[in-house]
Amino acid sequence: MTDISTSDGAPRKGSLLQQDARTQKRNAAERRFQIYGIIAVSVAVLALIFLLSSIVRNGIGAFSQTFITLDVVLAEDKLDKTGNRDRDEMAKVSTFGYSPLIKAAIEDRIAAEGIEIEGLSKPADLISKQAAADLRDFVLANTDRVGDTVEFKFLASGRIDGYYKGRVTMASAELDRNISPEQLMLADALMEAGALERTFNWDFITAPDASENRPEASGLGVAILGSFYMMIVVLFLALPIGVAASIYLEEFAPKNRLTDLIEVNISNLAAVPSIVFGILGLAIFINFAGLPQSAPIVGGLVLTLMTLPTIIIATRASLKSVPPSIREAALGVGASKMQTVFHHVLPLAAPGILTGTIIGLAQALGETAPLLLIGMVAFVREYPAAPPEGFFDPASALPVQIYNWTTRSDPAFVERASGAIIVLLLFLLMMNLVAIILRRRFERRW
Amino acid sequence: MLNAKLTVSTVAIFAVSATAAAARDQVQVAGSSTVLPYASIVAEAFGENFDFPTPVVESGGSSAGLKRFCEGVGENTLDIANASRKIREGEVAACADAGVTDIIEVRIGYDGIVFASQINGPAFTAFTEDQWYMALAEQVYMDGELKANPFTMWNEIDPSLPATDIQAFIPGTKHGTREVFEEKVLLVGCEASGAMEGMMSAGLDEDAAEDACMSVRTDGRSVDIDGDYTETLARIDANSNGVGVFGLAFYENNTDKLKVATMSGVAPSTETISTGEYPVSRPLYFYIKAAHIGVIPGLKEFAQFFVADEIAGPDGPLAEYGLVSDPVLADTQMMIEAEETMGSGS
Amino acid sequence: MPLIWLIAIILVLAAVGFVMGRTRAVASAGGDARIMHSLPSYYGWNVALTVITPAFGLLVLWLLVQPLWIENRVSAQLPEAAIAEDTTRSLVMTDVRRVAGGLQVLIDTGTMSEDDVSAMNTEDTDVRERLGDVGVALGSNVEPSVMAAAQSYREMTKRGSALMAVGVLLVALGGFAMAYILTNKDFRARNTVERGILLVLIAAASIAILTTLGLVLSMLFEARNFFAAHPWQDFFFGTKWAPDFRGNSELAILPLLWGTLYISLIALFVAVPVGLFAAIYLSEYATSRVRSVAKPAIEVLAGIPTIVYGLFALITVGPMLRDYFALPLGFGESSSSVMTAGLVMGVMLIPFVSSLSDDIINAVPQAMRDGSYGLGATQSETIRQVVVPAALPGIVGAILLAASRAIGETMIVVLGAGAAAAQFDRGLGELVNPFQAMTTVTVKIVSQLTGDTDFSSPETLVAFALGLSLFTITLGLNVLALWIVRRYREQYE
Repeated sequence: MTDISTSDGAPRKGSLLQQDARTQKRNAAERRFQIYGIIAVSVAVLALIFLLSSIVRNGIGAFSQTFITLDVVLAEDKLDKTGNRDRDEMAKVSTFGYSPLIKAAIEDRIAAEGIEIEGLSKPADLISKQAAADLRDFVLANTDRVGDTVEFKFLASGRIDGYYKGRVTMASAELDRNISPEQLMLADALMEAGALERTFNWDFITAPDASENRPEASGLGVAILGSFYMMIVVLFLALPIGVAASIYLEEFAPKNRLTDLIEVNISNLAAVPSIVFGILGLAIFINFAGLPQSAPIVGGLVLTLMTLPTIIIATRASLKSVPPSIREAALGVGASKMQTVFHHVLPLAAPGILTGTIIGLAQALGETAPLLLIGMVAFVREYPAAPPEGFFDPASALPVQIYNWTTRSDPAFVERASGAIIVLLLFLLMMNLVAIILRRRFERRW
Repeated sequence: MLNAKLTVSTVAIFAVSATAAAARDQVQVAGSSTVLPYASIVAEAFGENFDFPTPVVESGGSSAGLKRFCEGVGENTLDIANASRKIREGEVAACADAGVTDIIEVRIGYDGIVFASQINGPAFTAFTEDQWYMALAEQVYMDGELKANPFTMWNEIDPSLPATDIQAFIPGTKHGTREVFEEKVLLVGCEASGAMEGMMSAGLDEDAAEDACMSVRTDGRSVDIDGDYTETLARIDANSNGVGVFGLAFYENNTDKLKVATMSGVAPSTETISTGEYPVSRPLYFYIKAAHIGVIPGLKEFAQFFVADEIAGPDGPLAEYGLVSDPVLADTQMMIEAEETMGSGS
Repeated sequence: MPLIWLIAIILVLAAVGFVMGRTRAVASAGGDARIMHSLPSYYGWNVALTVITPAFGLLVLWLLVQPLWIENRVSAQLPEAAIAEDTTRSLVMTDVRRVAGGLQVLIDTGTMSEDDVSAMNTEDTDVRERLGDVGVALGSNVEPSVMAAAQSYREMTKRGSALMAVGVLLVALGGFAMAYILTNKDFRARNTVERGILLVLIAAASIAILTTLGLVLSMLFEARNFFAAHPWQDFFFGTKWAPDFRGNSELAILPLLWGTLYISLIALFVAVPVGLFAAIYLSEYATSRVRSVAKPAIEVLAGIPTIVYGLFALITVGPMLRDYFALPLGFGESSSSVMTAGLVMGVMLIPFVSSLSDDIINAVPQAMRDGSYGLGATQSETIRQVVVPAALPGIVGAILLAASRAIGETMIVVLGAGAAAAQFDRGLGELVNPFQAMTTVTVKIVSQLTGDTDFSSPETLVAFALGLSLFTITLGLNVLALWIVRRYREQYE
């Protein structure tokens, strides 16, 4: 603390209007201190801006997609040899049987538009490998359309899509084994003829993952559902358990060795590498309790155990910071210990609890490692059902999808991964927004 | 709050037992991340063409996959484990201890391992095994004695190589690729350069000499990559002198960024690997739990579909992605048809 | 009756109980709340909880026991002959459950009536095809014995559920009646309710202990296997980390531990000052507008997936540090370095320090600041000498949390600092060189667990030993931290 009087005890002389050397020094220190603060905040915000802008720059392309519209002749002799439109009979024609139809469709279109490009080979490479599956689904759902000519909107292949997003150029196509400059010229010609268009890509958000051969068809549907289910489990288990445990430890537990042990133990749990929680999850929830593999319920339980320490530490810190006078005042007017805690201490600690919860959930939302051993780091194409059964169906998760995409060889997945990160951050921002609103309601100083 | 909590936990437990009664529908696959792309291509096509649900394919490494495969028999264990190496004896024993005795081994094809560098970087176009040995060995055998590797530039090893610093990105010790790299490149190079012979004549026994051949220098010229090929690519992007070890499939998807080098004069391709001309490759496997066939719907169909000619054959989507198809695929198909387990029959 | 209805009925009953209990208590006091022992709502809560707790307890118990019991009964009913040579009883039971589930679907979708399903047998109908039509896929044709078992499985489940509904409702009503009768103005309702709540709180706190127990147990067994195959002296006192597919690997924890400490230390050197100053600025100086934007923005940093940070380290920070610092200063030419990973990880950790500290600083009573100002201290002097010491326990908690994250992080380390362990045999200079590649314990736990090595070999099992050792070491550090907080904490008021 500053000295109130100078060493000789004599009153200080000087003008109020003119600062003496010491005041100047103290004021300078004050300004410096404030500048440090501003620097610190700017460092954090700049880092955020830098990271976010690089994510957005890489990922924004994932939200639009190139499509090719073609007239497909659904030849009866290929799709329904018996001619009686029996769905089961027609289902025997696999997707491999549909590819020639698509190939014929694009060749027809090229001929009809009068496009001639020297050295052009395999024009069907412009179309995604997903196309045959889409067409087959359509035919099996509308068996009566066999024999007709149907206008169909196909996904363009990943390289063509990349061409319009600047990822693939004529020069790189020259070297690329999967696309040729002639094919890009064809795409340009088709674009001019109006067969090619780039639109917003809802499928990126709703479609399930696709294999490495068709980056253009992959989406986040299953991952978003999986993450959402897991967050529900985590929120509904970790928040009440975490808060209840903190209240007990902070307010009710007798201060003894045992409480110390629990306290140390909890902060220690926060330092356990997250994959170890996966080992625990495999041993307890799957092998012992018999829960299914790859299920969001198991993922949620494992992430709950993982986030509990974070929430408990944050909650305890904010309970600690509620001044004892509040408790004493409440007790003084006759409240029971329980009433004091629930009616007075807890609301005052709410902002801190919320912060802890948000950080904990953010961590849970972004973790891949603990999901590895319980089978959620997976390629899942079937949507999980609606809750509660859905909690037990296989699903992946957003960070898993991001991780999987970053390890795939096709460069188109880099853009997808960044797009997925944008979606993840939007999730996070929504959660933050709720927290901000709640925090503003509770935050106060006394 | 108390009320809500009770409700939640009850609902959770209700759901647990509600679904404990319903059985798993989809095939569950886990294992090697090298096999993952192929398995997911097959799973996707399987889901499209059959009425069974699409199998769930997990990554996580051969080790973790086989470990979970060997947890036991039953619905909440794996049906198929993918592996980028053969199952080891110790693992078969551990499996048997847990009741997993009937395992069908399926070889799906071969994975080629290639050496590539930045497309605009120095001209690394042709390597031989002994050049790699000289560049990466911890100790080299020169002038009749073993000494710490003195090479820092490629052209010190062979004047035909570019005059750049040695900077190699090789798979870390967790990867099965590392084992193949050590055995098929370093060891072969060691023998070809005469170093192995020299070491043995200098009094080392065969095992010690092999170990010396395959130990990699640790002075930072050789960097272990514990991540995936995308990490190797990023490192090469940031380091124009770097040479990296990749899978053939990865290279073929990135031919606009990477240029591949020949090994002993042979360029890597699905053809040269399947004929055995290109030396650095390894087989890929998956293992089926025979007891689950007939219990898990679609398991046998999936396995058959995986090795069907239209999928795993030389013109199928797997070969197109970079898998070197197995010349004896027909035998494998018959083996699955007959549900021939390991140890029985041939 | 679907379970959700049962739960709903109990909840409604509890709600009714709340209102009636409260009313009865108030009535017994003649409408004068002052002569009641507890506040009126406690009487309501008492009834509601007495309805819910035993009823849900029974429900849970029943739901857990019933499947087991039925499983046992049906399993015993399966003839020995039904279990083929290459399969096990539990696998046949999987089939039974699947068929039973399918039969229930047949009824639920209205394809068949209850009686038809009971009369169904494998000789007259192709059960597999029948079930396939309603979307229940079977792996093989249904054996008569399996069909019979499935039929009785379904029957028993149905009967069990009906019994359960009756039992649970009876218990709920019984609880209701008992609590309602006990309710009068002298009943110590608050004490009863509070005791119940305290029990719940204790249960919640013990979950953390159970988790630890589970973690230790799930690692201990495999760690023991590791030490059976690998000498412990090498593991704890060796100085080289060099796993090898062919066996006789050198697996020592020290090089990894050194990397962990070094990288975490650098990360904390970045995160703690930045985070702390940001927290102080936001809570003490910033206007509420700035604060309401900057605080959540900084929290977003904690939510960015670590792979983004990792790529940032690999592509931007690593080469930059190499070209502008390491090469000119002669510290080596590795683009992955302890410094890279530490700096980037530090950025990730900022919100862990700043957000929590901010809340805690905010909670320091204004009276203390006012007192300090009154004595003539400037704002920064107040913060340094009054506010921060008062908030110290919370701040230390925040820093510990950040340190914990630093120890547990993998992706940033792999991409930023590489996968090669520190090398003790190259001398102290290389060891403390911040521009040298190194790796951490956590990275190796992950990579050994997810690699391609033989899962029963020491190379894989070492992950469990590493996990257990790390656990013990962090435990020690936490004890130390607790002691420091106790020692230097300034308790006000």
